[in-house]
Amino acid sequence: MNNDLSVGIVIFPGSNCDNDTIAAIFALGAKPVVLDYRLRSLPVLDRVILPGGFSYGDYLRSGALAAAAPIMDAVEKAAANGLPVLGICNGFQILCERGLLPGALLPNPSGKFICQWQTVRVANESPLFTGLHQGRILRLPIAHHEGSYRTAQGQLADLFDRGQVFLQYSDPEGQSHGLTNPNGSVANIAGVQNRNVVGLMPHPERAMATYLGSRDGADLLASWLGMGENAVC
Amino acid sequence: MTQFRLTFLVGLKAGILDPAGQATRNVLQHMEYQVDDVRIGKWIQVIVSAKTKDQALAIGQEMGERILSNPVMEYFEVTVQAYEQ
Amino acid sequence: MLTHQDVGLSASEDQEIVQLLGRRPNELELGLFGALWSEHCSYKSSKNLLAQLPHQGQFVVQGPGGNAGVVQLSADWDIAFKIESHNHPSFVEPLQGAATGVGGILRDIVAMGARPIAIADILKFGVNEQAPALLHGVVEGIGAYGNAIGIPNVTGSLGFSAVYDANPLVNVLAVGMRRHGLQVGADGARPGSVLILIGQGTGRDGIHGASLLASRDFGAETEEMRPTVQVGDPFMGKLLMEATLAVVGKGFADAVQDLGAAGLTSSTAELAYASSVGLIVDVSKVICREQNMSPYEIMLSETQERMLLSVPKQNLASVLEVLAWYELPYAEIGRVVAGDFLRIEAGDQVLAELPTSVLVGSCPRLPVMHDVRIWDAGQPSVLEKIGLQSRWGYQVLGHPDCRNRSSVYQRYDSMIGTRTVWGPEHDVAVMHIGNGKPGLCIAVAAPARWAAYDSYAGGIGAVVAALSLVAAQGAVPLGLTDGINAGNPAKFEPYRKMADLIRGIGKAAEIFEVPVTGGNVSLHNETEGQAIWPTAAIGVVARHPNPEHPIADAPPDAGVRILALNPPANPDLGGSVLAEILGRSDRYPVLDLRAIQHSLRFLVEIIPQAETVGLLGCRAVGIGGLFFAVAKSLMTKTPMALGANLVLAGDADARFVFNEMAGQWVLFVDPEFQSFWDHVSETHGVSVVDIGWVTGSPEVVITAGRSLTWPLIDLWRAYRKGGVRDVR
Repeated sequence: MNNDLSVGIVIFPGSNCDNDTIAAIFALGAKPVVLDYRLRSLPVLDRVILPGGFSYGDYLRSGALAAAAPIMDAVEKAAANGLPVLGICNGFQILCERGLLPGALLPNPSGKFICQWQTVRVANESPLFTGLHQGRILRLPIAHHEGSYRTAQGQLADLFDRGQVFLQYSDPEGQSHGLTNPNGSVANIAGVQNRNVVGLMPHPERAMATYLGSRDGADLLASWLGMGENAVC
Repeated sequence: MTQFRLTFLVGLKAGILDPAGQATRNVLQHMEYQVDDVRIGKWIQVIVSAKTKDQALAIGQEMGERILSNPVMEYFEVTVQAYEQ
Repeated sequence: MLTHQDVGLSASEDQEIVQLLGRRPNELELGLFGALWSEHCSYKSSKNLLAQLPHQGQFVVQGPGGNAGVVQLSADWDIAFKIESHNHPSFVEPLQGAATGVGGILRDIVAMGARPIAIADILKFGVNEQAPALLHGVVEGIGAYGNAIGIPNVTGSLGFSAVYDANPLVNVLAVGMRRHGLQVGADGARPGSVLILIGQGTGRDGIHGASLLASRDFGAETEEMRPTVQVGDPFMGKLLMEATLAVVGKGFADAVQDLGAAGLTSSTAELAYASSVGLIVDVSKVICREQNMSPYEIMLSETQERMLLSVPKQNLASVLEVLAWYELPYAEIGRVVAGDFLRIEAGDQVLAELPTSVLVGSCPRLPVMHDVRIWDAGQPSVLEKIGLQSRWGYQVLGHPDCRNRSSVYQRYDSMIGTRTVWGPEHDVAVMHIGNGKPGLCIAVAAPARWAAYDSYAGGIGAVVAALSLVAAQGAVPLGLTDGINAGNPAKFEPYRKMADLIRGIGKAAEIFEVPVTGGNVSLHNETEGQAIWPTAAIGVVARHPNPEHPIADAPPDAGVRILALNPPANPDLGGSVLAEILGRSDRYPVLDLRAIQHSLRFLVEIIPQAETVGLLGCRAVGIGGLFFAVAKSLMTKTPMALGANLVLAGDADARFVFNEMAGQWVLFVDPEFQSFWDHVSETHGVSVVDIGWVTGSPEVVITAGRSLTWPLIDLWRAYRKGGVRDVR
């Protein structure tokens, strides 16, 4: 438990995974701090999460309107100063639209929303996720209409070279291939990192209890909060 | 047969609520642009082969009515140009 | 001069209005009557029939009449729930029609002060060429709205028949939770309060009833200007929901009413009538999205995402603060006064003034046309012995009414809110509420074919089917909601079928002592004189004993015994999928409601202590019969490694495994507890038959005289096969 750890959770108009994320952070023993999108500066925080949902109705492009919200100037500045930032689903889209993460999230090739359980593999050990080892397989829900991760031409190799690929869609044994790719993401990429900024499509905040189908989300978030080793038990 | 480029603009009919346009307008206003209204539609390009420009346009009209727009709530405009690869 | 025909009223209704008012209404007033005395708002054809349904029960907090029914789940939580239809709009424009249907029913729940936590969709489509595109559009629309506003879609029902070719059905159940003791509704408005209209700017959306008048105003050349399609805006819906819940949660409003059919007209009139107050509304204050809207258009507009609040003056500043926080457009459009009238003004000009007791309370109801149930002409039931054939197993699982639904429900977010313990991959939904106990069990049933040839039997069957589903979780039913879909009530046959359907629902609800706390009636579902099957969509909410550990709907291991609870003594294929495959149109059988009642009570009693009697799993038998129930239990296991060996009594045949007589279950039982189950008939008064055991080889084997084998992988293929084209 670390009650001193304060985690800012940004609520944009249309965010709808905010309550689930707040509950998850609270359940892990950290202190959730609600941040309104109109804020122009951040209070003192240890972490920031951009939660999932349909900010601004996903209108124009998913994440595009929220990326222009007042608070994003402050988030960008804080990220540059080393504050860990995590974007989940729509939050990932916002970070890409803002340019804090490389790549973009396009509509699923099926043209349809997809909600299902999905296994993902930790592709690279990250200093941001203590105790979450490379090769670890996590069972997490995905739920999105625009989750097809793409990079600019020539960017993909760099992403792998620099160890920026964090999660990849895989089968339960950890193999990544076409059949385990739910949304046409390049190289099955489900999450990327850029120094202290991370984005992922799966929803760890929905996998917090066995009765919900998995506790792997609790492990993932606990490790991001730096409670990795003891929270996994 | 010659190739022609048909360009369609498809938009919501006047009076039909455009939630995406409305939300985009509000954000632009927050960003302090002097914006009064935004409406969002689609741009579609179709390359067709036809004998004449008029025939190409007629084909375009038909496509617009039959499939490219939803006549219940959308209007469309189509323009035609000669197409060279 | 506008006449009564222009607004859809009959001559006798027109006379009634003149008599009750003591004068002729002006044009605007006539328009208000046209809206409120329409079938849609007044339920004039069905109200006397619906009055036959039982509405009282020990858990009922709010019965019919409000925006939604409310039942008590626990000491802390009440559940608001209701089914609503959006059939015709979804046929005209599937995506937006379905989306606005979801938005509308969610606002009903919010208007009761409850936070929506789940939706379920009950859909019926045709089998013609147009059907797949309609299904696609409707699913897209339900998903677009529900996913974006962030309410999980947790269960549903999907069926197909040619009778729905030109009349698809889109019914949506919404469920919300609110703190027990919170009183919110349309009935609390007090004189002195201010009326605030919040949400979307009013446009000329969906002014159907006003079409004639509108064309007089516009002229034919501006036809393009007049949209009849309402567009849903889940983003605005989300802000409206949060703002409304914040206002009512803090007790700032004394009454809340959402704007649905007939827009401002019905919401103001119904709020005034329910609260026994007068309202003065100034239409010039309403925020309009379009230029030059007439008072008539403003009053009749069906623009979505709007809510009417009645706010005591001392709370006004607090409410405006909430609205500003959510950046929600709002306008003070009027005030509450003592009296019994609705007065419409534009600035200092009075445009209309009508007593709400007449406007809302005096719409003449159609008398119940006949009280005696008449048997429909179907073929006599298939009572003769009918030998089992292996192809029927594949045909039934591959039938559109049975097939795997994952391609539909994966387009819905079923997990948001982190309450979904069991979602759409199961037959019922199990939700985690508050601290965990009790939970909520939600089921829907709409077995339309059962009502095709005998709507009374079908109405009973639909209720039994819904109750059987929640009973399979040991959950205690708290209340029912019914979506009635039928043809033109002015014609004898459709009316009679609807009447019998409602009577059937009432009969079952009464016997099982589960109240109907609200619902919806959709009429005129017919095209070129061809009416749909009278279709009941039944939703049930139930108190789940142990949501963190729902009893399984599949066997854990090989060796487990398979029992049938309450199998029919005279199995009858009437109304079943197999009967349709065989080209028969038999009446749905008469169910033994007393035996079913014993079984329902038994399950509610035994499942919370299932471990003590070796009960390992339970699944209700419904469409597709016992065969489908067993096969589905095996196919849900990953990997599919288990099978079933069913050994039926010498005289059992296809009727035993394919009949769809609701109120029977498949039980999976630990063989060590065999003696309890051998004697359960004597100890608990229920009928239980040992029909076989679970094997370690993935196939279904049935021995009834001779043996037939269905490899599970082949059944799975039939179950997964897509498309709706090969329906008869």
